[in-house]
This record gives sequence, structure tokens and C-alpha cells, in this order.
Amino acid sequence: MPWLLPLLLAAPLASIACLFLRGPRASAAALVGGTGTAFVLALLLAWRVSNGGAVIAAHGWLQADALSALIACLVTGLTLASALYGIPYMAVVRAAERAEERWVPGRYEALFLGLLACLLTAALANNLGLVWIAIEGTTLTSAMLVGYFRRPESIEAAWKYLILCSVGISLALLATVLLYYSAVSVFGEGGQGLQWTALREAAPRLDPRFVKLAFLFALVGYGTKAGLAPMHTWLPDAHSQAPAPVSALMSTGLLATSLSVLLRFHAITAACVGPGWSGGLLALFGGLSMVIAIPFMLVQGEYKRLLAYSSIEHTGFATLAIGLGTPLAVFGGLLHLVVQSLAKALAFLVGGSIGHASGSSRMDHWSGLLEASPVLGVLLVGAGLGIAGLPPTGTFVSEWLALAGGFASSHPVAAATALVALVAVFMGLVFHWTRMALGRPREGFDDRMPALSRLPMWLLLVALVFCGFYLPSPVRTLIEQAAAVVRP
Amino acid sequence: MNLDLPGWLPRSNTVNLLAGVFLLSALYAAAQRRVLAAITAYRFNSIALGLIALAVALATGARHIALASVLVLVTKGVAIPTLLRRQTARGRGALVAEPFIGVPAGMLVCGALVVVAFSQTRALFGSGVSILASCLPVSVATTLVGLFIMVSRKRALMQVIGLVIVENAIFLAAVSLTYGMPLVVEMGVLLDLLVGVALLGLFVGRIEETHGDSDTTRLSSLKG
Repeated sequence: MPWLLPLLLAAPLASIACLFLRGPRASAAALVGGTGTAFVLALLLAWRVSNGGAVIAAHGWLQADALSALIACLVTGLTLASALYGIPYMAVVRAAERAEERWVPGRYEALFLGLLACLLTAALANNLGLVWIAIEGTTLTSAMLVGYFRRPESIEAAWKYLILCSVGISLALLATVLLYYSAVSVFGEGGQGLQWTALREAAPRLDPRFVKLAFLFALVGYGTKAGLAPMHTWLPDAHSQAPAPVSALMSTGLLATSLSVLLRFHAITAACVGPGWSGGLLALFGGLSMVIAIPFMLVQGEYKRLLAYSSIEHTGFATLAIGLGTPLAVFGGLLHLVVQSLAKALAFLVGGSIGHASGSSRMDHWSGLLEASPVLGVLLVGAGLGIAGLPPTGTFVSEWLALAGGFASSHPVAAATALVALVAVFMGLVFHWTRMALGRPREGFDDRMPALSRLPMWLLLVALVFCGFYLPSPVRTLIEQAAAVVRP
Repeated sequence: MNLDLPGWLPRSNTVNLLAGVFLLSALYAAAQRRVLAAITAYRFNSIALGLIALAVALATGARHIALASVLVLVTKGVAIPTLLRRQTARGRGALVAEPFIGVPAGMLVCGALVVVAFSQTRALFGSGVSILASCLPVSVATTLVGLFIMVSRKRALMQVIGLVIVENAIFLAAVSLTYGMPLVVEMGVLLDLLVGVALLGLFVGRIEETHGDSDTTRLSSLKG
């Protein structure tokens, strides 16, 4: 079914075209229709790939292996949830900001769908040049969304995001060029030298010096986009200033997609020079990200910045686990990318509702939420359990598996460091969450969001808890196959 | 692979000369206090890049490189400088970009960067690089100079100029290492760059709107 891939990319683009039908109802329908169709198609693709192997389409420009299918499912599922939440949220915020005349109708929807299209292209492109173009496209579309409110802080965040990620991404272009150069002696001067499928097959015959150099530049370049320390400094600003549904998508789908591109470079490097070198670097930078996030999470006052640092920590943990390289650790790392995304998206969405109801984004202005609004309180506690890695949520299982695999690897010290970091972060989260959930409710807490806005949050919570009890066998097979892509 | 230019062009000197223009224009941008002069330097930088690509196209007879060089001349030589100039015309801030480091000290740093680039590129890439051998150290040196412009200037627009110079240098590396990537990829990269610069220009305007000036040292409200 190679037609699935272009169709999957066409879904968000077609709904952007539908936005020219003016009117808020038409644009909401286009948004939900486009993301919903993409989600269904991604599930179909995952089913096809896990049963019949990788698919190549569009004259070798597009491909889908298990890693692509996993990322496509993750991205489309989270986009659908954020889009569903975004319709009532943006309407309420628009009314509250009194900014109707400044907000062009349909622009938010167009940028949101454009971001989805870029993410899907990055996941499904076979040509590493096309992957680069798509990742740069995600920066451009999401920077517009970060600066959407046009407050001084959001402009500042968008500026830092654009500048830092543009520099990072230009180094990633150099990485792509170097990898192409290392393949010239194998393929000659042709388009094949940029194709993931061809490079993967020919990896042992590539020039190891240039492959190593390419991996270093890719680590800095795509690592900037994936929020790996010390290139993470833009992330807390951008993720805290964007509208809630956009933050939810950036902290999950965007980070996971960027990391998956870096993992493809890792797979080629590992097949060329052995898994220890690039895996060790991934584990080092993943561990560094976890350690750097700790102090900022412990003393954080702002809810969305706390979540942003938590994303740095979780992405770092997944990177560390995948870098350690035992089958169980890689499986756990990829599973962690998926389940942490469910928890993080839930946390951002529920934070959007609470922030609007309480009129503040600072955690010391939030207290007694379980009493003030039992529904939002329960959702908030569920999200907290998820990002702290507690049972009964899926993050507990993924962290357990990844750590178990890590201790069995040749660097048990790295796994021990990760464990210590997880415990430190856990204590900080318990402190913040008890203050927010318990105690006496503040005056003036008024949740004006329609009840329908809670549907996507409940779905995310159910999925998160479900993964804590049982991993359905198609999902397990898909993640196992994706682990085989990353781990030669 | 040796570079065989047509007979009416002086052989290896053409590319070397253009590579020299490429590096010198980047240094000229680094030495400028005035934003408009730096934009002009960037224009020369881009034209040199386009002509190097054209020389490679003439030498190899590859049509996709010729097309790419025309695209470079149009987007980087004409469209992006025009966009940047329009932004300076619209802006209310002063057109002088005060550096953190004085110009003479900055030039000294740039000189050191060029020396490092020329001495270390050979060590990194070995002597096996015979194609356009002079271009690779130039591109590494220009990358470093571009990054130096970005970190040493307060004005937002100067940082954009540093960024597009880095982008040019990486394009030169692509041309000198691999004779350029497939045309579709080059077109996508140029499109991304064009949209990116337009967006950066838009945000420079908004920074001036919300902060009164495009001095990026004032962008410090987000911390911790």
C-alpha cells in the first residue's frame, strides 16, 4: 500500500486548503477532519508496516519503516487531541484577549496543520535532505505559533527559538552534506547517497571518518531541536509562551520527531563504526539533560516552564536509554517517548484550563484544585503521576524497562545516574503537586471552558493508565520493530 | 577529480579568486558598524557563492548545479538582501549596530578564527580533498566568522545577517565537497531559508514594536 504515504501527507495539506472556506465553524471542521483523517491513516500505516515490513513510495522519496510508523501514530494522535482541545480553548482565549481584529481567522488552524504536515514529512521522508527541509519547516511554523499572542515575552521566546534552532539546523545541514560525501565513493554523484534506505544498507562501506563527523554535527543540530542539554536553552521559553495546545504538541510530537531523526543518524553511524561510539555520546548528552533539568524543576514557580524542563528530562532519559543500546533499554526508551508524550500532552492541556480559570500561570497561585474543580483536579493529579513516573501510569512501566535494560548494559553507572535524577525530580514534583492539588481553594477560580474540552484530556488519561497495566500486542510488536531499526 | 574550466577562463584562479571574495566579504560584514553596509557585504558574499557554483557547473557540465547557482543568485543575491534592507527602512531603531567587542579587537578574533579554520580543516578532512581544495577551509572560516557576528552584536538584524552568512558558508561546503545536493533538495533548502529570513524580519519588527528597540540584550525577561 505505497499510496498510503502520500495520502497521509495530503490530509493536513488538503484541510489547509479547506480553511479558505471562511467562518469559525468551517475552520474547526477542517482542523478536526484533517487531523482525524491523518490519525486513521497513520494507524492503517502502522498496521501495514508491522505486518508486511517497510514501504517505499513516490520514487524513493518517501519511506515508512516501523520507526516512521510509530512516530506518525504518535504525532497524529497527539495533534488530534490538541486540536480537539484547541477549538474551545482558542475561542475562549480569543474572547479574553480582546484581540479579534488582530487575529486573522484561520491562521492558527493553518499554522497548526502546517506543523503537522512538516512533522509527518520528517517522519516519512526517505531522503535526508527532505528530512532536513521538513524539520526546518517545523521551526518556521511553530515559531509563528509561539509568538501568537504577541506579548513581549512571547515575541522574545519566538525570537530566541528561531535564532537558536536556525543555527542548530544549519549545522544539521552540514551533517547531511558530510554523510552524503561519505557515500560518494559508494554511490557516485547521485540522489541515492541521501536516501536513508540506501545509506542504511551501505553503512558498513561508508567512509567512517566522515560518518563520525556527520554524527557529531547531527547531534548538535538535531539535538538542539530535540532539546538535549546544553542546547536546550530555547525550549523552556518557547514551550511556556505558546498557546496550550501548541505547547502540548511541541513538547511531545516535535521533540520525538527530532529525536527520531537523530536516531537515524545514530543507526547509520552504529552500523558503520560499531554501536559503542555514537551510543555513548547519546547516553552522555541524555544524562546531561536529565541532570541539568533537576535544579530548574525543583525551584520552578511557573507551571508550563516546569513541564518544559520535564520534557528536557524525559527526552534526555529516552536518549540515554537508547544510547545504552541493550534491546530492553532501546525498547523501554522508545516506549518512554510514547507514554511520556501522553502524560505531557495531558499536563499541558489541563494546565491551559486551570491557567485560564485561575487567571495565572504561576503554581503558587494555584491551590486546592481537587476541591475547586474535582474534574480538573483529578486530571491534574493523573498528569502528575504520569510525569513523575508513578504507577498506575505507563511511564512507570517504560522507566522500569529502560532502567532494567540500562543496568544490564556495559554502562550501569549511566543507568544509576538516571535513577538518581528520576528520584530527585520525583521529590520536586511531589512538592509542587501537593501544593497545587491540596489545601484551600483560591477565591475567584472560575472554569469557563466548555465540558467538551475535557474529552481529549480524559482520552489521554485513559490511554496513559491503560499502558500502565497492559501493552496490546500490536503496539508491542511495532515498538519492537522500531527498536530493531534504531539498533542494528 | 580536477576542475576543468573552459579555455576562456583562467583555470584554477577563478574559483580561488571567488573564494577570496567570499571570505573577505564576510570579514567586511564583521567589521561594519552600519547595518546597511553589512547587508551589502552579504550581497557580495552571495554573489561570490553563486559564481563559484556557476564555475563548478561550467567545469562539470552538470545542469542541476547551473540551475542551483541561478537560484542562489536570485534568492541570496537579490531577494534576501532586499528583504533585509526593507526591514531596516521600516525600523525605527538606530542603524548602527554596537558590538560587544570593539571593531579592532573583533577583527583580531576573526583573524584568529580564519587561521584556526585554515590550519585545522586539513587535519579534519585529510589531504584527500582535491576538488575545490581552496573552498573547504574558506567555508569553515566563514562559518566561524558568521557565528562570531551573531554572538558579538546586540542588534537583532545583525544576528540575522550572521545567520545567513553561516548558511552561505555551509552551502559552499556542500558545493565544494559534493558538487551540491540534488536539485529538489537545494530548492527546498533555499525556500526554507527565504521563509526563515522573512519570518526573522517579521519578528525584528515585532521586537521593535513591543520593546521599543531591537537591542537583543533587552530580551531578558524569561529566566529560570
